[in-house]
Amino acid sequence: MSDRMLTMAEAVREAMSIAFDERPEVFLLGEDVGIYGGAFGVSGDMYHRYGAERVLDTPIAELGIVGAAVGAALSGMRPIVEIQFSDFTAQAMDQIANQAAKIHFMLGGALHVPMVLRTPQGSGTGAAAQHSQNLEPWFASVPGLKVVVPSNPADAKGLLLAAIDDPNPVIFLEHKLLYKIPGRDPVPEGATRIPLGVSKVVREGKDLTIVATGIMVNKSWEVCEKLAAEGISITLIDPRTISPLDMNPVFESVEKTGRLMVVQEGPAQAGFINEVIAQLAGSSSFGSLIAPIKRLAGMNIPIPYAPQLEKAAVPQLDDIEAAAREIVKNWR
Amino acid sequence: MSFKYPVVMPKMSMTMETGELINFHVAVGDHVKNGDVLFEVMTDKIDMEVEAPADGVIEALVANPGDVVEIGKPVLIMLTDTEVMAFDFGTDNEPVAAVEVVAAPAPVVAAPVAPAAPVILNETVKAVPKARVEAANRGIDLRTVRATGPDRTITMEDVNGAQLDPAIAKRQAANKALIAKGIEMTRSIAQASFTRSVNANFDHATFIAAWAKVLRNRPDLAAHQHVGVALIIESKYGSALPVFKDPDQLKIADLAALVASTTDAAKNGKVPVAMLSGATTTVFDLTTYSMSSATPLLFPNQVTSVTIGYESATTKIVSLTIDLNFCDFYDGALLLDALVASL
Repeated sequence: MSDRMLTMAEAVREAMSIAFDERPEVFLLGEDVGIYGGAFGVSGDMYHRYGAERVLDTPIAELGIVGAAVGAALSGMRPIVEIQFSDFTAQAMDQIANQAAKIHFMLGGALHVPMVLRTPQGSGTGAAAQHSQNLEPWFASVPGLKVVVPSNPADAKGLLLAAIDDPNPVIFLEHKLLYKIPGRDPVPEGATRIPLGVSKVVREGKDLTIVATGIMVNKSWEVCEKLAAEGISITLIDPRTISPLDMNPVFESVEKTGRLMVVQEGPAQAGFINEVIAQLAGSSSFGSLIAPIKRLAGMNIPIPYAPQLEKAAVPQLDDIEAAAREIVKNWR
Repeated sequence: MSFKYPVVMPKMSMTMETGELINFHVAVGDHVKNGDVLFEVMTDKIDMEVEAPADGVIEALVANPGDVVEIGKPVLIMLTDTEVMAFDFGTDNEPVAAVEVVAAPAPVVAAPVAPAAPVILNETVKAVPKARVEAANRGIDLRTVRATGPDRTITMEDVNGAQLDPAIAKRQAANKALIAKGIEMTRSIAQASFTRSVNANFDHATFIAAWAKVLRNRPDLAAHQHVGVALIIESKYGSALPVFKDPDQLKIADLAALVASTTDAAKNGKVPVAMLSGATTTVFDLTTYSMSSATPLLFPNQVTSVTIGYESATTKIVSLTIDLNFCDFYDGALLLDALVASL
């Protein structure tokens, strides 16, 4: 069947299950991933299907969880770690940034760490500052880590399978609000892989190029649909892998549209999306710009608890729509 | 404190004496902001929008649409709180006398008005990147392009609507013809520089006139029908390149006065807009920097460029760069020889 509409949680579970079936060395560990089925229900029934040896419930000790995974990866296993909230990766950062990311390089390529660290991120759940962050730049700024930010179930499945295949550590950032909603596109059956490091042109237009990550791809899509009715046609690009970053589609698109807007959920200051702006500004495509580059990003504050303030702290549909219309209207 | 300020018919080209008022964009009583368009003017050469030099209120419309107004004569009267606004329209940096509003009904106009009105040279041009690329390709000086974008930034629409200097257009057509004949235009490589020492003292006007006279005999080195000598003048606002058109045909005293006043104006960031185009060659005086020589850079659509360098109290060094796509080494040597001889 080619019209299967899955949620991202289902798609991620399916990818993990395929990897479990393909390779005996793949296993999952994390807090509540076993009997409970995962804090967001992503592992679901996998504990019952694959048993306690391959779906490991761990103590609440992130540094220990990732340390165990790095050790297992070094000795021939392919661990998938789930950290319950991406905010908690701070606890495990030494294992992630100083061990997993660097071992391959510091040992001259003799050893490597084929580990995938999956973790839900983002705001919009009323869970306040310590459970709502978007930490894309933390990981994207560490050489040696690959960083994947899927925006839809089909991509999540294909990218996760590629991430598990990868011989080096991959950070896989899943947005909580996307877990329960079906994607726009059906999820293909079987073990279809999507290579890391390839940006996706989600739709093509001639007036504006939007580059967005994660959930902002979905919000931007809705804006594209709405503005198309007004005669504004937009190219929407989803990098999907923010490290390594594939800028070529962005260069090609900006040379056609002359206008660039970037959208991310995380705080503006030193955010990942700034990298897109920097690379464009330093490229020969810069001379194609007919408008200043517009950046939409979160405010430089911890995510507030109050729902109205939480919404106001990150770009919403209206913000994206207004900014897109303004840049096209004001710069001709 | 409010001041009456007459907004006058500006001088927009060297030869302009009168301008026809096309229409007003404002009415009596309108509040205007600095930069708002007040009225449009037509001359034999160009049409231009005249902008408010400061925030204020329109008090009276003095001329009527269709009127031919002498330069320096008022077109409308503004009331403004800005004392310094007269500065922008003065020729000699002397503020136009502003008339303080008194209780008695003010008579219309009669304020003394400066005769010529150099247009302010934008010290920094704001333009979107593609506009810069486009302007460079088409030989448009962005300082002469009216900015309509946000924050007075030049947009693509502005550049697309800009008038190309007809001389440059002609030259570009000539370039295309050369390319069509298979002559490669690798400008950055195909140029040569020559240097000579000159035992003479001369001022800028003398030098400009002498150089123009030399070039006058070589119309093949420029597609233009005139000789336009651009003089690079550095100031805190950046480099200005006012162009002296056919300077060899002016009386030397007049040229000296024009060079002096233009240099002063440029140092204040102001050059008449009419003097910003039509260059066929460029002169850069390095002696102010105590430098002896430099390789003069060829500007787009120019075949020659010279620098004046310092050697000693009595001798100067003249360097010439030529574009080998249009002349050969022999030409270059002859040109420099002729220039030095006439000094």
